[in-house]
Amino acid sequence: MAKTLEPKTKEMEFTSIGQRVPKLDAWDKVQGKTMYIHDVKLPRMLHGKILWSKYAHARIVSIDTSKAEQLPGVRAVITGYNTPEIRCGFIKDNPVLKKDKVRQYRDEVAAVAADTPEIAEEAIKLIDVVYEELPGVFDPEEAMQEGAPLIHEDKGSNVLKLPWKMICGDVEEGRKQADYIVEETYKLPFVTHCCLGTSGCIAQFDAKGNLTVYSPTQIRYLAQKDFQEALNALGLKGKKVKVIQTAIGGGFGSKLDTYPFEFITILLAYYTGRPVKLVYSREEEFFASPGRQPVRAKISQGCTKEGKLTFRDVEMILDNGAYTSWGATTPSVMMMPISSLYQVPNIRYVAKCVHTNNIYSTAMRGYGNPQATFAIESQLDTLAEKAGIDPWEFRMINRNKPGEITPQKFEVGSCGMKECLEAVKEKLQWDEKRGKGNGRGVGIASLIHVGGGARIYKSDGCGTILKLDDFGKVSLLTSASDMGQGSETVLAQIVAEELGLHVEDVDVIMKDTNLEIWDAGAHASRSTFVAGNSALYAARKAKEEILEFAATMLKEPKENLYLRDRMLYSRNNPEVSMTIDKLLRAAHFRTNGRQIVVSEFYDPPTQMLDREMKGNFSAAYTYGVHGVEVEVDKETGQIKILKMVIAMDVGRAINPMAVEGQLEGGGAMGLGYSLMEELHLEKGKVLNGNFLDYKIMTFPDMPPIESVIVETYDEKGPFGAKGIGEPPLVGSAPAIANAVWDALGVRIRELPITPEKIVAALEGKKGS
Amino acid sequence: MRRFTYYEPESLKEAIALLEKNGETARLLAGGTDLIVEIKQEKKSPDHLVSLRRIPGLQEMDFSDGELCIGAMVTHRMIEKAELIRDKYSLLADAVDNLGSVQVRNVATIGGNICNAAPSADTAAPLVALGARLVVEGPAGERQIPIDEFFKGPGKTDLGAGEILRCIRIPALPQGAGSCYIKHARRKAMDLPLLGIAVIIVPDANMVCREARIALSLAGPKPFRAEQAEAFVTGKPLSEEVWKQAGEIAVGESNPRSSFRTTAAYRRKMIGTLIPRAAAVSLQRVNRAWMKG
Repeated sequence: MAKTLEPKTKEMEFTSIGQRVPKLDAWDKVQGKTMYIHDVKLPRMLHGKILWSKYAHARIVSIDTSKAEQLPGVRAVITGYNTPEIRCGFIKDNPVLKKDKVRQYRDEVAAVAADTPEIAEEAIKLIDVVYEELPGVFDPEEAMQEGAPLIHEDKGSNVLKLPWKMICGDVEEGRKQADYIVEETYKLPFVTHCCLGTSGCIAQFDAKGNLTVYSPTQIRYLAQKDFQEALNALGLKGKKVKVIQTAIGGGFGSKLDTYPFEFITILLAYYTGRPVKLVYSREEEFFASPGRQPVRAKISQGCTKEGKLTFRDVEMILDNGAYTSWGATTPSVMMMPISSLYQVPNIRYVAKCVHTNNIYSTAMRGYGNPQATFAIESQLDTLAEKAGIDPWEFRMINRNKPGEITPQKFEVGSCGMKECLEAVKEKLQWDEKRGKGNGRGVGIASLIHVGGGARIYKSDGCGTILKLDDFGKVSLLTSASDMGQGSETVLAQIVAEELGLHVEDVDVIMKDTNLEIWDAGAHASRSTFVAGNSALYAARKAKEEILEFAATMLKEPKENLYLRDRMLYSRNNPEVSMTIDKLLRAAHFRTNGRQIVVSEFYDPPTQMLDREMKGNFSAAYTYGVHGVEVEVDKETGQIKILKMVIAMDVGRAINPMAVEGQLEGGGAMGLGYSLMEELHLEKGKVLNGNFLDYKIMTFPDMPPIESVIVETYDEKGPFGAKGIGEPPLVGSAPAIANAVWDALGVRIRELPITPEKIVAALEGKKGS
Repeated sequence: MRRFTYYEPESLKEAIALLEKNGETARLLAGGTDLIVEIKQEKKSPDHLVSLRRIPGLQEMDFSDGELCIGAMVTHRMIEKAELIRDKYSLLADAVDNLGSVQVRNVATIGGNICNAAPSADTAAPLVALGARLVVEGPAGERQIPIDEFFKGPGKTDLGAGEILRCIRIPALPQGAGSCYIKHARRKAMDLPLLGIAVIIVPDANMVCREARIALSLAGPKPFRAEQAEAFVTGKPLSEEVWKQAGEIAVGESNPRSSFRTTAAYRRKMIGTLIPRAAAVSLQRVNRAWMKG
């Protein structure tokens, strides 16, 4: 396929691929026409509300729901005591309604369905719960100590039986080879997604006991499976579950798991026999929608006099919170930069996830990668300095190269790390600006991320159905999910390109588990690559059928025919030309005719990680480099980002405008993570659960972001493309920390990099 | 969220009567950018909401007899757009420039900002520095309250039962005064100050300080004048060094607190750092004013 990447003739020039196509969903969104879960109303629909725990850790002595039940308009009040037990999370340690004890402030103690949201809210207040408070533990290191309160008594320990360990080469040998070694500890905060659309769903049973769930989930097929288990618990084995995906108001991983509120809504719908809608308020979204887990990382790296890295040794402790969601599996992705960002022969990585009475975490853009990369890339600057090598040179010396196999057995195909490093160096004017000190500085950081799916489940596949109608239009039924990242547009471009149609000829349908095939979900930056290949191969099948029919009808050799601009042409015969819609009608309206419908299921050629946590688990790897220039006010500690450059090797930009959108959006999120975002918990309770005190970047705060798109045309990607959803966030924080170091000579090892920390560090420096 | 009855009286008298009738269960509604949020969060649950929007005169600004009078319902956006304020009371223009967002400033009012008595109110320190007087009408008629007597602590004011702020009267500044307000915040928009610093300088022809006013918010439980620092500067040449020392003196007069938003230590350090900066900007504005005049 690599050969077809560069157009050789006019007919091979792309018409859709590489075009700056505005997102197809943008018009409806900006005009308020998009149907979010908040907008959906069903006949006879009730409203659900959850009663949350009043304590971080307490025994439930009793729950009295009688007053709530008597409130007019209340249709059901449920607790863990009057419903069958359903557990969620991948190790099923999270009962959807808590019995006996609560382990965090966001524990679900009871729930109500009522005629209006107001009645539901009032009813919640009438539920009388008697608690007996238990001592809590809020620091993972304290939770690991002997005698610490146990979060789950049945587990016997607060440390999850999910030990993460990866050894490549021999770290001790690497230490011996090193002329310079740096050892440090880094600390990352609890942050959260801040999706504009809060979480919510609607559950509805039909008369036969089949369930429909309307949800803005990122994983409609995995959610379908989870909800099936709920039906089993309700004794409805064999009944069907359908998940209808409503427009997703943002999703960065928070909608990648199923949560108690969804099962509670199902239970409420079951017991009332009516559709029930439960949507979080913004306040609930802040404390009850899981975010990115706090991490403490002890890291050491060493290099030779020549600057070659000899080893990397990382130990991490993750605050898992009270229950287990995908947060506990983020070390599997942290391994990726630890093993494979730069060429490091000897690697050791161990991580522990520890239960506390804090709220629990899940997946969030980057999935552990931002935390690991912050530690690695910050420390690289320190190490480079120790070795007396320019940090940019240092990165060039150790950079990854196309075709290499990393210690974790990743088979790197395309790799534009060098191009990204060079682009950022030039855009930042690195040589002129670096090392001047005096409050101004530049910093860079590289990253690696999966760009060709990730085999986390035994199938990493995605299905496509294409239906070509009589008007030359295509229905593209894809099992991908667009949560704002632009998959809808990219998939339409791919299909339009392959079928010689225009983007507006393609209707993208991604909403119903009954209509589309199967997909592992919108995660791992996989949609462009996996759903893209699925769509591409489906379109090729359709094209094949069209050309075959045309060849027979027109008596032209099939090899000579091609589709372009809604027309069929022949390379050799200028007489042959026909509109595609006419051709499709001709294929349909005849004896034994038919509409063209094709399907494709694409599963990338990858491996699951083996017992040693090794294997080529993505079909392609995305590389990128962040560069920033900062100006720091030495008295106030305030950081002004003068410039941010993000260079990403995306394989090919199917839609450069959408890629820039990802780069800028990821950059904004990365800046927030670096400079201001932090969920403050006091003994497990969120103190700043609002947009005033949980600070994300606002428009006036945003510096100019310069996007550099590097194209390496990955031979496995659709038209050469690789995934780009998560990477633009990943390198932001270390690039800023490195720029601050260049500007002031202080090293901030804890995010966010606040003015307070800078002032304190400068005072510490003065003192020393 | 508790349900409430909403009123739109058309005179202050009518509004006062509603307040008297409903006592503690009634709240006045100005722009609503604080109150409505608090009602939604159930931090406040009034049964009666008395809007001031239809009362004539409250949205007027008037500059006569050397005094500026700003109606309680004047929005921050109106203040921001008033050339006269930018020219003669620069610190007040500074205070509204970065308050909330344009959307917030379009509805939020100066009266609401003051009467809500949040320690973080952006207009508080400038008005304290300006020596504003609050004209209040109540069941017993009109009275004027000097602003430094108005604030009684976080969320607490001198307003009595049934009393309504009508306008804020601001005396003219002496000829040649320059002023500045620094909002020290984490973000450029949609943020509250971690510290508010208001400075007014009146130099004589030899650039010796004839009068200095320094008002601080979030440096203690309520906005206050750093009187020792003011006294120190007065009569001295307006040098950077003098203002550095004044800043340190003001640190000694302050009693900021720690919260998750920032630490007391950082606030103290910033008081010392930002007072000289506010003074430097004020001084620049003095020069500009003189060149104009």
